[in-house]
Formats: sequence, structure tokens, C-alpha cells
Amino acid sequence: MTLNFLIAPDFSPEHFAGWHMLNTALQKRSGMQLHLLTPTSAAEQADFLAQDKADIVYANPFDAAHMVRTLGYVPFARPAQRSDEMVIACAAASPVQKVEDLKLGCRIAVTDNKDIKLIGQRLLEPADIGPTDIEWVIVDSYQAAARMAIKQEVDAAFFLADSFASLSRMTRSQIRPLVESAIHDISHVVLAHPRAASQLSALSAALLALQTDEAGQTVLDALGMSDGFEAITQEDAEFMIDLMDALLD
Amino acid sequence: MGLPDMTSPSPQAREVQLNYADTSARTVYCTEVEVPFPEGSLIVSRTDLQGIITHANQAFIEMSGYEREALIGAPQYILRHPDMPKAAFKDLWDTVMRGEKWHGYVKNLRKDGSYYWVYASVVPNVRGGTITGYTSVRRKPSRVRVAEAAALYEQWIKQEVAPS
Repeated sequence: MTLNFLIAPDFSPEHFAGWHMLNTALQKRSGMQLHLLTPTSAAEQADFLAQDKADIVYANPFDAAHMVRTLGYVPFARPAQRSDEMVIACAAASPVQKVEDLKLGCRIAVTDNKDIKLIGQRLLEPADIGPTDIEWVIVDSYQAAARMAIKQEVDAAFFLADSFASLSRMTRSQIRPLVESAIHDISHVVLAHPRAASQLSALSAALLALQTDEAGQTVLDALGMSDGFEAITQEDAEFMIDLMDALLD
Repeated sequence: MGLPDMTSPSPQAREVQLNYADTSARTVYCTEVEVPFPEGSLIVSRTDLQGIITHANQAFIEMSGYEREALIGAPQYILRHPDMPKAAFKDLWDTVMRGEKWHGYVKNLRKDGSYYWVYASVVPNVRGGTITGYTSVRRKPSRVRVAEAAALYEQWIKQEVAPS
């Protein structure tokens, strides 16, 4: 039986090959057959989930909350030493020096990553700016968000911290972080559909042991996850979901 | 389990006797020094059903001024500032014990008598349909809202101490 392995669409483009390398390595090491699904948008991911096609999912924490609590997915791994953080940045030449300088009605570029938007909204609260006070400009990629910020077509842009760090040196020299989250407790998680849970042990063992040999480490480096994956319990995931829940309003 | 009295951080510190809902009491000292909320951080802790701290993240530890060992196993009210009215915490507990989320602005007391304001969200940890504890997440508050809350809490405290 082939399991569909769905990857949340918010990874940096440079890691695309890494996910294919991981898929190959996991099949080889676990003896299981995996078919990689790489939706390019949150909507495409939602379609896969609605069609009940995802057996194994590398999920962002926001989606994981729904998948664990409503759909019964079983959490079993997460990237080690790697939390999901975000950056709010503006043009280097912008007069905005801190979040509190942003005004009601400001224009902010965002991708369709719900985690990043949620955390960013919370970081704007000290400026007394709520989600309805913002003119959201939806963009396809963090590169597009950066371009709009640099041209000052928006007052600020939201970035996944990893994606911000992977922008070119030239791009980063033209934008300036206003604030970077330091939450530490929120991360992507690897989930299994209940129908796949009984086949998890070989897959989980292969995933968690990748960093123990050179070939596995090469795969992890290609993913930008050099510290590998670590096991996560149901309660670890529930804790993270409670935390996300607390941030919802 | 009661908490030991605080040590006066300076001769100018205000001394207050706090009486807690579990009938324990202690002397606390407060100064007018406000410590800014760490940019970008969330202060996270968990308690059991009795409000005893079972988890504290690094931001919680640093902002409280206590060592982790002193916090884990201590009641959450170790951070209670005398400028916070009892009614605010009664509302918090009444809300979360009903299984609902609570949000509010809170002035917290540090070990050294200084304080910090937060916007706090407390969510019940529901496992298998049962509340097993509470997670509290604090974020950087709006100064406008803090000023409003401080004025409101001052009124509530006056009402609490006024003879009925």
C-alpha cells in the first residue's frame, strides 16, 4: 500500500529538492512506499485534505490543530531545535522604526500562511492595530512580499523567519526587520492519518534516525533541518495546539 | 502551601500584605520600576487545576525574576501584584473552570518588586472531554489598553476595600 506524504506549502523554494530526497530516503529505509504531495497553496492543500488523500502530513501548526483535534491525525515527529518564527519587516528607507509607528489603515503584504498572519497580528497589538485596521495585500511568495516592501508599495510585510533568512543578500539589504517573534514553542509537526497509524513504526524510526549517518544528514541539510527530527507525543502536540488556541483572539 | 514573604528590595518599596483565595498570606514589596515586555516573545506557563505551575518557558522565568526551581510547584499567584483587583482573578477562574477562554490585561509582580504588564490569554487544557489544567500565554500589550485597565483596576480595588 502506498501512503501519500503531504508537505505543507510554506517551505522555502530552495528546499523543494530536499523534500524529494527525504521521500526517497524514507522509502528506502522503512521499506514503505510513499507518494509525495507538494501542494503549492493552502487552497490546494485543503483540497487534498478534503479528498482524504493525506496519510502522512508535514503540517504547519495552525493546520495541525484542526487535523489533530478534529480529524484525529496522530502526531509523531517534529523538526528538532527548530521553531516557527516570523518577521515583520519594512523597506530599509521607511520612516517606520518600530511596530508602534505603523498606523491604522497601513498596508501589509502577506502570503496565505495562516500561522504567520496570526502571529504577526499578535505582534501588531502593541500598536493598537487590529486585523480590520489593516489593508492586507495578499502575495504568492515571500519574495513578492519583499519586493513590495522594498518599493514601499506596502508599509510592512510578514515573513516566515526561515524564508526571510533565505532571501538574497541584496534583497535583505533593502529591507529592515521591525520585530522578530521569539516564541520557541510552536513548530511544524509530522502527523499520520489514523488509517496509517498502525504502519508508523518503521517510518517513524527511519525519520528519527536520519541524523545518525552521513547520507541521512545530507538529506536533512537539504531540508534546512540539520538537527533532524525528534519524537513528539500526543500531549506535546496538544500543548502546542492550546498555545495556538490562546493566540486566536 | 503558602509562599514565603518577599524581601524588601529597597527602603522606598511599598509593603503590602496579600491574602490569597487558598487562605494563605504573604508580605510583598513593590516598586515603581516597570520592566518592558521582551519584544517578539510570548510568556507561557501551564498550571494544574489548583493553579500550581507545572511548566514555565524561558521568557516566563526571565520576566518573573525567579529561578525555574522556585516557580515549578509554586502557585501561579506568586506573580500577583497588589494593584490587581481580586475581581479580575475571580472572573479568570470562573471563566476557565467553565471550560472557556479568558483574556485580560494583567500587572505582574517580579521577585525584585518591579512589575510588567501583559495581555494574558488562559485556555483550559481539555483532554478526553475533561479539563486537566490551564495554559496561560501572555503577549506585549497596547499601552492605551494598559492605561485603561490600570484606571479600571484602581476603581475596583477601591470598591473592594470600601466598607459595604
